[in-house]
Amino acid sequence: MTINRREFIKANAIAAAAAVAGVSVPAVASNLITSSDITKLKWDKAACRFCGTGCSVNVGVMDGKVVATHGDIKSPVNKGLSCVKGYFLSKIMYGKDRLTTPLLRMTNGKYDKEGEFTPISWDQAFNVMAEKANDALKKDGPEALGMFGSGQWTVQEGYAAVKLMKAGFRTNNIDPNARHCMASAVGGFMRTFGIDEPMGCYDDLEAADAFVLWGSNMAEMHPILWTRLTDRRLSAPHVKVAVLSTFEHRSFDLADNGMIFTPQTDLAILNYIANYIIQTGRVNKDFVSKHTNFRLGETDIGYGLRPEHPLEQKAKNNGKTKGSSTPIDFDEYAKFVSTYTVESVSKLSGVPEHKLKELAEMYADPKIKVTSFWTMGFNQHTRGVWANNLVYNIHLLTGKISTPGNSPFSLTGQPSACGTAREVGTFSHRLPADMVVKNPKHRAIAEKIWDLPEGTIPAKPGYHAVLQNRMLKDGKLNFYWVQCNNNMQAAANINEEAYPGYRNPKNFIVVSDPYPTVTAQAADLILPTAMWVEKEGMYGNAERRTQSWYQMVEAPEGAKSDMWQVVEFSKRFKVEDVWPEELIAKKPEVRGKTLFDVLYKDASVGKFPLSEIPEDRLNDESRDFGFYIQKGLFEEYASFGRGHAHDLAPYDRYHQERGLRWPVVDGKETKWRFKEGSDPYVKPGSDWDFYGHKDGRARIFALPYEPAAESPDEEYDLWLSTGRVLEHWHSGSMTQRVPELYKAMPDALVYMHPDDAKKRNMRRGDLVKLISRRGEVQTRVETRGRNKPPIGLVYMPWFDASRLVNKVTLDATDPLSKETDYKKCAIKIVKV
Amino acid sequence: MTQKHHKTPEYHVASLVASPILAQLDEVKAVITAVEGAEIHAVSDEGKIVFTVEGTGFKDLDKKIDIIRVHKGILNVSPVYHQVLDESGDDNAEEQYSEVTTKKE
Amino acid sequence: MKNLNLAAIASLLVLAVSPIMYSLNANAADKETVNSVATLRDATPIDVQKEPNIIPKVINKDIKQGRNYPMQPPVIPHTTRSYEVNKNNNKCMSCHSRHRTEKSQAPMVSVTHYMDRDGNFLAEVSPRRYFCNQCHVTQLDAEPLVENTFVDMHTLMKQKTTSAKEH
Repeated sequence: MTINRREFIKANAIAAAAAVAGVSVPAVASNLITSSDITKLKWDKAACRFCGTGCSVNVGVMDGKVVATHGDIKSPVNKGLSCVKGYFLSKIMYGKDRLTTPLLRMTNGKYDKEGEFTPISWDQAFNVMAEKANDALKKDGPEALGMFGSGQWTVQEGYAAVKLMKAGFRTNNIDPNARHCMASAVGGFMRTFGIDEPMGCYDDLEAADAFVLWGSNMAEMHPILWTRLTDRRLSAPHVKVAVLSTFEHRSFDLADNGMIFTPQTDLAILNYIANYIIQTGRVNKDFVSKHTNFRLGETDIGYGLRPEHPLEQKAKNNGKTKGSSTPIDFDEYAKFVSTYTVESVSKLSGVPEHKLKELAEMYADPKIKVTSFWTMGFNQHTRGVWANNLVYNIHLLTGKISTPGNSPFSLTGQPSACGTAREVGTFSHRLPADMVVKNPKHRAIAEKIWDLPEGTIPAKPGYHAVLQNRMLKDGKLNFYWVQCNNNMQAAANINEEAYPGYRNPKNFIVVSDPYPTVTAQAADLILPTAMWVEKEGMYGNAERRTQSWYQMVEAPEGAKSDMWQVVEFSKRFKVEDVWPEELIAKKPEVRGKTLFDVLYKDASVGKFPLSEIPEDRLNDESRDFGFYIQKGLFEEYASFGRGHAHDLAPYDRYHQERGLRWPVVDGKETKWRFKEGSDPYVKPGSDWDFYGHKDGRARIFALPYEPAAESPDEEYDLWLSTGRVLEHWHSGSMTQRVPELYKAMPDALVYMHPDDAKKRNMRRGDLVKLISRRGEVQTRVETRGRNKPPIGLVYMPWFDASRLVNKVTLDATDPLSKETDYKKCAIKIVKV
Repeated sequence: MTQKHHKTPEYHVASLVASPILAQLDEVKAVITAVEGAEIHAVSDEGKIVFTVEGTGFKDLDKKIDIIRVHKGILNVSPVYHQVLDESGDDNAEEQYSEVTTKKE
Repeated sequence: MKNLNLAAIASLLVLAVSPIMYSLNANAADKETVNSVATLRDATPIDVQKEPNIIPKVINKDIKQGRNYPMQPPVIPHTTRSYEVNKNNNKCMSCHSRHRTEKSQAPMVSVTHYMDRDGNFLAEVSPRRYFCNQCHVTQLDAEPLVENTFVDMHTLMKQKTTSAKEH
């Protein structure tokens, strides 16, 4: 680095002397190169690698290296802006410790669970994987195989993996890390609307009169949407912003009404608002009577812990009926919420009455267009699906939905949590286009598109994310492949579940990653992986926008994309290795073929020739497999949703556009779903049509406040909330390797109220231990800075690989969505 | 700031113009090039030599320049520019963009 | 503590019988730093906690840092402690706005910051750029855990002009 400064001042020196001598020096010395063949950068568009906002960025390439990135001015999402992470995208691929060869734990040249990581070839890696997978299959059948994927997989990667697991290996034990992030949102959508993903779009940001942030720190987690919200708030003075959280954070900088509530009481606040709307006579009766109906949901549903946990023993309805509901009428609903008065809710939540009223009035006033945003505060919640249902209630009672500015908007964490995890259906219970494995009709549709015999896809939902770690620990899941995530850092309660699970001698753990992450450290085999623009791919963002990019640079030699790994691995299995005789008998022509032939090459995935790839484009995977595989995977996947309100455009069009919002019908994208005039699927004359449910109506749910799984007590006397930071992407495996981002936020500190610190005789910078019933982590105290927790609550981010806060967190989940509550557990803090 | 007690590392660069006896131009150029850290960047039509000397301190530069200055083929050496770079940490960012580039934004 | 580095691996590989392994061994030796695991944890086992380092100080030298590429937002070379940036105040602009830079001698915010979403110029800084800390960050006095091998375009161009001259 110093060299560059030296060169710079040296050039200045030369220029000065040259001027004195009256000579011109060659261009190199004058430090400005203008020759276009040398200065030329090849620019191309890509989706940002980070969050669910889905910004489009321009990527500048020179000599096979990414040398610059900036926000794409043509993108309707970000209009030329990036956040600080986005501006440093150029450097994420160039951490010096990029993995370039498979590493297997070995002793004396042989695989050994306790051995040291040893470089092997790809061929050897696939050999040992195939051997371990076959062993597990023979011993315990397909249920002993599992995969943990990602909302950061491209659409094609997710689709290739689902097909291999659900149709090839015939196990539903595949789940994405989006389970930790969006599962409650999915549950909320399916329950209220019968179809997944937001009805509105980012255009709501420029149309709304009021914004409410429910457990969302957009300023840090969705920075570019926050710039749009800020733009709206500051340029239209009538616009108001309400922010709710369990601690004060950066989004409060713009808040007109900032509210700190006691953890879990958001449920009560939501019901209070519904009650207020009813009590003040502001229910939109016409809308409600035509487009909704009311249901009373099951209660006391437990906390998604292991069945022997005392809380599960105590819960009455944590069995099969936990998601059920019974029809009620409006009056019964009104009576249900009537106990949520401003007095009682203020007392429960700690939010002053006038602030609650101001918030409720914003929703109730028919003249105010309200957009609600939420992310992990709602979703990572043991009643996450309920919280989602309850916020829809408010928008449905007032008819503030599906029109510009009126928008209950679930924000997505990951860049393709929508596009890949949800739409492709990489969950343990799902299939593409909102279908589920439990439904025989859905399985039949999938088997038809995949041209596979009836009965190929197993009916039983597989192990979800949290259950996977428990089953690893219990030795029931023995061959496990982790791609594109860092779950040893991200999963809750790693001390008791994930870590013993990965290290269980019965199990063989494969981790694919560009970098040696904490998860890789816990693996038996590490596969070096290509990332981002080292491959062609697609992401789908939070407003249903699907975006594609071409491969722009070569991956480091030895690193291969997730999709290549999955597809190449499938060549190792003959159909008769993995399918029972009776299934093969239904389609004898598959005998002798490999899974690669059946699932990819000879399926519709394989029908697009290499000639469709522009000649000047890189595409390592396609040229290796011999067909345009990204297009094939996409087109086959898209056939699930076309004509079923999930329509995607033809593949090639995405290369021309800055993304399109589905459903794309007759070449046109859809901005607001369920509203006549903007959504082609709405029945003519219906005005609104919530067609996800057969009756065309959205559901308003009566659901109560129920306490958190774990609350502070005398010994463990503090709430712990965990979360993310602006400067790092999730576990920091990419951004901690960018010096500027590392130096902006090097360590995860514990943010405390100064009085809480004082009470424990602590000062800023003190070394402390956070201790829960499950484990402990050390860090240092921060009493100032961007997060200001109230007394009784502390916040610690989880990006820091050296301080694993998830040794402390509780793996309680929403029993409906199976998503973990990372925002609430009880801890104590002591000085070290 | 820094707890290290060794001397702060410095980088010095000076640019100079030498006027040689034209008949000995090649010989003078060879002498300059032979000095460690010295580099010729241009020679004018009249034979003026534009060169730089790099080193670790004032003394180091002086010593190197003196080797050139005393050569019999040289009429005059004019120092033009001298700059010191303090390299004691904190400059790990790639600080190398010329003002031209920076201002373009 | 478990030794996970390649030195140990190399010694194990000597025992390996396969000739392929030998060639890989040679190859791997060149990449010693590349394939060591747990770089962000300083090779600390997962069930062990390394003592967290002290909180580094914000670099406050006020010396401009270079950019990796022209469109990179410059990092902040000074501390911003107790700077208020909220809907009522923006402390950063008290030095960096156009009409304050003469007094403050701070760099003026780039002209792009005066453009709205559609690229039209405004009289004041655009509200979409209002929160400076979305893009501009201070730097703490901490040594990066992993080196980054990003090469900026200028260095690449220089290499090209140099090699062009040589050939």
